Amino acid sequence: MGKVTEITVWTRGVIMDKEARDVANAFAQAAKMEGKFVQSFDNYEDLPDRVLVTTRKYARISDEEIEMKYLYTNAHPDVVVIVEPTIVKGINVLKGMPEGGILIINTNRPIDYMLKFIPNADLLGAIATVDADGISGVKTVDFSGSEGGVDTAGIGAGIAAPILGAMARVTGLAKKENLAKIVSDVAALERGYNEVKLQKFRKARYEFGQGA
Amino acid sequence: MPIKIPKDREVPFGAITPAPVKQQELFITSNWRIVRPVIDHEKCTRCFTCYIACPDSCWSFNDKEEKMEWNWKFCKGCQICIHECPADALSAAPELDFEDGVVRLEKPF
Repeated sequence: MGKVTEITVWTRGVIMDKEARDVANAFAQAAKMEGKFVQSFDNYEDLPDRVLVTTRKYARISDEEIEMKYLYTNAHPDVVVIVEPTIVKGINVLKGMPEGGILIINTNRPIDYMLKFIPNADLLGAIATVDADGISGVKTVDFSGSEGGVDTAGIGAGIAAPILGAMARVTGLAKKENLAKIVSDVAALERGYNEVKLQKFRKARYEFGQGA
Repeated sequence: MPIKIPKDREVPFGAITPAPVKQQELFITSNWRIVRPVIDHEKCTRCFTCYIACPDSCWSFNDKEEKMEWNWKFCKGCQICIHECPADALSAAPELDFEDGVVRLEKPF
């Protein structure tokens, strides 16, 4: 089995549930359009139907067929995306991350300030921030929750689009052109791609394209 | 003084909590907060509206210092106390502005 890149998206229950689901699903779908093998899951292990609770979404991308069929949670996430920045205070977000992973945070605060809240940041290969709240202007698109919610707003309408743009640039695992075919807010995707702030560390890995 | 409970009457952790307002290890939901209530003790009239309004009894009165106390470990940042306070003594501040209040759990509550 080839190398599987695991992506974990941390978010808050109900109010940002749909946004994070869009991030995991759209990113996996865009990688699939490039011929990669992907999986993406929503709502395993955590109890996401409580307002503000910390919860996870998962995606996996590989060049070969993924054989981890019955494991839903990512034990060793290479890329961690944080949809709501306060989560760094409450959760050990880098748990299980192999050395040289990437952390992407949706915040308008400086990278150095965010690093204060991440004591195990020496694991990181790169950290990136993107002000998705500022770019899209909407925090919550709708409350179409996890249980049978109908997605009328479209995929990637709110903060998901800039975050996806940042992920495309920093990880290089999916192309921006493919993401633009999926998300509804293409302008925000472009802005996220262009406005992401990146800081690389010594452990940065070569496989993450131009980003890290 | 701890209460002695017979073995056959034991309940799971968290089923009964010494509410209101006791901080307990393992009973931490402070990582749900995006904003926290900040109290201005000068403006506070000790009317106890926050104590009554808080769904999780996170406000208590400190008899010695004669001021309201906030349970930072259990408060989920719902902002009800801020909206209910008749004296405008409470205000919402983004949690990331503070360097204290870090819990960093291994998994979600």
